[in-house]
Amino acid sequence: MVELIRNEVQQVFRDVFGDPQLVLRDDMTANDVEGWDSLQHLNLVIAMEKRLGIKFATAEISRLKEDGQNIGTLLEMVKRKRG
Amino acid sequence: MEDSLQIFLAASERDRPVAFAMVAARLREALDAARYDEAAALLRRAVFPSIDYTSAQALVRLRQKLRGQTASNHKIKLAVLGSFTTKQLVALIDLHLFAMGVEAEIYEGEYGVFRQEILDPTSEFYQFAPKILFLATTWRDLGRRPGFDSDQAAVCSTIQAEQGDWSALWQTAHHHLGCQIIQNNFTIPPWRSFGNHEARHPGSFGKYLTAMNLAVTEAAPPFVTIHDVDHLASTWGRWRWDDPRFFHQAKMPCDPECLVDYSHSVASIIAAQLGLAKKCLVLDLDNTLWGGVIGDDGLGGIRLGQGNPEGEAYLEFQKYVKNLRQRGVLLAVCSKNREETALEVFDKHPEMALRREDISCFVANWEDKATNLRTIAKTLNIGLDSLVFADDNPAERAIARQLVPEVAVPELPEDVTGYVKTLEQHRYFQVLSIGAEDLRRTEYYRSDAMRRDTQASAGDLQTFLQSLEMIARIGPITAVTMERSVQLIQRSNQFNLTTRRRSIAELSALLADKRWISRTVSLADRFGDNGLISVLLAQIREHSLEIDTWLMSCRVLKRGVEAFLLNHLCQVARDHGLNVIRGEYIPTSKNELVRNHYAELGFSKIDDGSEEHTAWELKLADCWRPLPNFIKEETNGGANTK
Repeated sequence: MVELIRNEVQQVFRDVFGDPQLVLRDDMTANDVEGWDSLQHLNLVIAMEKRLGIKFATAEISRLKEDGQNIGTLLEMVKRKRG
Repeated sequence: MEDSLQIFLAASERDRPVAFAMVAARLREALDAARYDEAAALLRRAVFPSIDYTSAQALVRLRQKLRGQTASNHKIKLAVLGSFTTKQLVALIDLHLFAMGVEAEIYEGEYGVFRQEILDPTSEFYQFAPKILFLATTWRDLGRRPGFDSDQAAVCSTIQAEQGDWSALWQTAHHHLGCQIIQNNFTIPPWRSFGNHEARHPGSFGKYLTAMNLAVTEAAPPFVTIHDVDHLASTWGRWRWDDPRFFHQAKMPCDPECLVDYSHSVASIIAAQLGLAKKCLVLDLDNTLWGGVIGDDGLGGIRLGQGNPEGEAYLEFQKYVKNLRQRGVLLAVCSKNREETALEVFDKHPEMALRREDISCFVANWEDKATNLRTIAKTLNIGLDSLVFADDNPAERAIARQLVPEVAVPELPEDVTGYVKTLEQHRYFQVLSIGAEDLRRTEYYRSDAMRRDTQASAGDLQTFLQSLEMIARIGPITAVTMERSVQLIQRSNQFNLTTRRRSIAELSALLADKRWISRTVSLADRFGDNGLISVLLAQIREHSLEIDTWLMSCRVLKRGVEAFLLNHLCQVARDHGLNVIRGEYIPTSKNELVRNHYAELGFSKIDDGSEEHTAWELKLADCWRPLPNFIKEETNGGANTK
C-alpha cells in the first residue's frame, strides 16, 4: 500500500518538476528538490489533489513545508487521507 | 508525433496524465535536439482550454524554453495589473497566446498596487508602455459597499461613485498610453446573507454586484472590453470556482483547475483584438448535422428533429450554429457525399434549421477533406487559419490536423449533445463589438455568388462592371464608421498594403491630428449593399501625401474601387496644394495579391535598395488624368473633405 502510494506521489513529483528521473526518499525535504519554491509547492498540492483524489486543508498546505516535514511524513499524510 | 498527440486529445480525464507524459516526452526530445519549429507546432496543438492545471504548468515550462526560438507575425505588449497573485494566470495567458500564434511581451505589476501603478505617471507600468492593459481585479477591490440598511437610492449613488472611480482609472491609463483595456467584471460569490431574498433586497451584496456589473458594462468606452469573469464562475459552478483555500493560501483568484479556462478567456479577447478570431465554421454533414448517413438512410431515415432524442439534439446543434451565422460567423459545408444528395436535405427536409442560404460555401464531393478545406478558404477569400472544422469522424479530424495544420479542428465528443460545449469552450469566434456589418455578412457573401453568375453571362469585364451599376460613398472616418474601419484595419490581410494594425484608441488619436487624412469607401450595386469596404489613411508631409494604410475587403476585388479611390485622393492632394502621392508595399505571408498595386495604378518605383519592401510615387503633373472606372460617387452628403 505504502509502495503504491509512493509510486503515485513520485509520478506527481516527476510531472510537476518536469524530471522523469526524479526518485523520492523518505528523508528528502524541499531543500533537496531543485525548484521546490512556494509556487511549485502549491503546484504539487494541486496536482496531488487531482491525481490522488484527496484534499488538503488550508492549514495542512502550509504545514507541509514546515521544519521537520519530509517526504516520509508527506506519504504518511497521503496514506491517512486515502484511509 | 501525431499519434501521441491524437491519443492525448482524445484521452478521457483518467487516461490524460499518461497520454500527456507521452506528448511531454516528445516535446522535450524535440527541444533537446533544437528542432524548435517542430516543438512549437506540437506545443501549440497540445494546449486547449479544458486541459488540467498540472499538464498546463508542464507546458508553461516547455513554452519558456521556446521563447525567442520561433518567429511570430503577431507580437503584443501586454501589462497585467492585479489585486491577487497573477503569476500563474499570466504564465497561462502567455501559453494560450503562444498557442494562438502570438508572441507576448508581458509586464506583471506588483501584487495589489494596480491603482498606484496607474495613478503614478512615472511607474514601471508606464515605462513599459503596453498596447493592452488587463486589469485583473475582483469584487474584493470594490472601494464601496452599501450597508444592509441602504435603500434603493443610496445603493444607486454608491454604484455611481464606484463606477466613477473605475472609469477614472481607465481614462488615466488610456490618456497616457492610448492602450486598449480589458477589465474584469465582478464575480458574485456563492454565499448569500439574505438567502433567496438576496436578489431582491436593495442593500444585499449579491444585488449590488449584479448592478455594478451592469453599470461597468454600460459605462465602458470603446477602448475598454469588460471581461465577463462572472460568466466563467457561473459556468464552472460558483462553489467550485470560489475555492477559498487557494485564496487564503496563495491569493489565487479561483480554484487552480479553473485558471486554465480563465486565462484562455482573456487570451481569446487579446487574440480577437489582434484580428485572430476565426471567421468561418466548416461543417461535416453525416453524424455532425444529423444522425445517420444520408446516402444510405435517405431523407426519411436520417435522425433529425422532434420525436427522437438524438434527432432533437442534432436540431439543437443546428440552431446553435444558425445563431452563430446570424451574428456574422460564416458557415461552410465540407462533406463526403454526392452534392445533389446533400443539398436535397437542406432544401427538402422539413426539420432542418440550417437552409441552403445559410451556407456561404457548399462543398460535397469525394475529394479528400484537406483539399476541400483549401477550396473553401480560397472561395471565401479568407485564410486557412480563419477556419474551424467540425467533423464527428476522428480519422477525418486527424487527417485535417496533419495536412492543413492551420485549420482549427476541435475534438468533438462522440455524443452530439456535447458539440455546443466543445465549440463554446474554444472561444473561436470571440467578438469585441458587433456592427450592422456582422449581422449582414452572410448576405454579402451570397450576393457575391450571384454577382459571379452575372460575370459569367455578361461576356467581357467592362460590360459586366457597367451592368453592376455601382455607387460609392466616400468620406473621412466618422464616429459612425469608426468601428467598422478599425475592424478592417485589424482583420484585413490580403488586400492590405502595409498591414499596420491600429486600435480604436490609436486611430482616434491619429485622426485628431490635422495632417492626417482618412477615407472610407462604401459600395452598393444592383445586387445589394456591400457596406464599408475600403479604408485609407495618409499623412501630409511638406508637398507630398504619404499613404500609410490602404486596405480593401476582398469581396470587391477587381471592381475598380482602387482607381476610384485614387482619383478621389488626387483631388484631395490638389486641394491641399500637394504635388506628389507616395505609397509603400510591405510584404507579409498574405498580401502577395497587392504586390503590384501601385504599379497598376501608374505609380513609379522609388529605388530604396530593399527588394521586398517597396516604395512608390505618383507625380501630379498637369498631364495626370483620372483613371477610368465604372463607379459613380453618391452625390447627397458624405463626401465632405477635411
